Amino acid sequence: MPSSFLDRENTIAPPGFNRFMVPPAALAVHLSIGQAYAFSTFNLPLTKLLGLTHSAPGDWDLKEVGWIFSIAIVFLGSSAAVFGRWVERVGPRQSMFTAALCFGGGFLVSAVGIHLHQLWIIYLGYGVLGGCGLGIGYISPVSTLIKWFPDRPGMATGMAIMGFGGGALIAAPLSVMLMAHFKTAISNGVLETFVTMGVIYFMFMMIGVYAVRVPAADWKPAGWTAPSQPKQLVTSANVAVDMAWRTPQFWLLWVVLCMNVTAGIGVLGQASPMIQEIFNGRVTPAAAAGFVGLISLFNMVGRFFWASTSDYIGRRNTYMIFFLLGIVLYSSVPTLGHLGSIPLFVAAFCVILSMYGGGFATIPAYLRDMFGTYQVGAIHGRLLTAWSVAGVLGPVLVNYIRQYQIDSGVPKAQAYSITMYIMCALLLIGFLCNFGMRAVNEKYYYRGGTQA
Amino acid sequence: MNVRLIVLWVLVGIPLLWGVMKTLDNAMKLFQ
Repeated sequence: MPSSFLDRENTIAPPGFNRFMVPPAALAVHLSIGQAYAFSTFNLPLTKLLGLTHSAPGDWDLKEVGWIFSIAIVFLGSSAAVFGRWVERVGPRQSMFTAALCFGGGFLVSAVGIHLHQLWIIYLGYGVLGGCGLGIGYISPVSTLIKWFPDRPGMATGMAIMGFGGGALIAAPLSVMLMAHFKTAISNGVLETFVTMGVIYFMFMMIGVYAVRVPAADWKPAGWTAPSQPKQLVTSANVAVDMAWRTPQFWLLWVVLCMNVTAGIGVLGQASPMIQEIFNGRVTPAAAAGFVGLISLFNMVGRFFWASTSDYIGRRNTYMIFFLLGIVLYSSVPTLGHLGSIPLFVAAFCVILSMYGGGFATIPAYLRDMFGTYQVGAIHGRLLTAWSVAGVLGPVLVNYIRQYQIDSGVPKAQAYSITMYIMCALLLIGFLCNFGMRAVNEKYYYRGGTQA
Repeated sequence: MNVRLIVLWVLVGIPLLWGVMKTLDNAMKLFQ
């Protein structure tokens, strides 16, 4: 493949190009890297590589294996922050190709680690290399989509980021099927599954690499003109990434994202034991797995729904709904559990998780409103460090408070009540930060032009 | 152009639809 194929200048769309070709290109990347949410399907099989049916002496334990996902998420956030400006400079095709190499390569390197039974190679493979693929892949199409859809930036980025939620829905059953297919008397099929998935995901991401295009500098949607009267909190100016993170607005948005994600991710990680413990004896492990699947589905759908809605009601109002409705729903969970109403409990969490996904999907358009389109992808990359923090904070809060409650003699069914009220407090902090959002001061504006 | 557009959407849509169907199938167990 000639290197010029990947260059930004060779991805400029010809006149008449249909802009709806770009969302599926972005989806091809996000549906692939969304596999990360389903990595836990490998956790138990990785602890039985030697014993096959049980953990033998020398097999890794669950805690050691759990670090693979944590390292990947840390590298997702940090690579998005570090490589954001590079992604803006080289364009979406080269960055998507790099993400495909890293993510697919991460699986292959990990397969070598499985073959040699060396856990550090998997940390390096899926954790570091794959994590960089996650971060670069996540931000690659964002600013391109915003430029293609100046009239509907929320819908466009929501469509792509929906893929990250949907990736788990594909990867979980696919991993289970592949492991069952490759299982033999001497292998539990994980190694072969890693190789297969590495190749499949690389090829699938290449669909995005080939299809993605950037609009010409003077391109506008047919019949669309930029509003002469800018809406409140929507700027027509630009702020560079190095200036953006010196503004109070960047940090207010950082807290907004962090609080919204912390509340959702804590619940997502504990959803299966939580519903079984709250409805003791009434929800089987299989039904709890169904609950996890259902809220994952709402996590995906919410990304498209809320981000699209934000184009009509505004980003600030959308987050107001997330925080206010979130407080109402989280505070009602203990009562719903006490009432023993499974359908209402499930419905509440479906809405909560839709807003968790919506928070991720609406943030790029919120950044574009506040900082303009110039380097919005790089600013988004830096903001994703909030995700890394929330990825640690959320599960720690839920797990530790639950354990503390149980150790203090609180029945398991009621051990989540305090957690839910703490989530309400986090959402209140997010609400106040969002409430305090004002337009960026003109002294931060970029004066050198409007294109990266 | 329209054929390429349809092919592209089908390529990403089919795996997504398959994942959604599998998830809904599992979720039914919650209400059985």
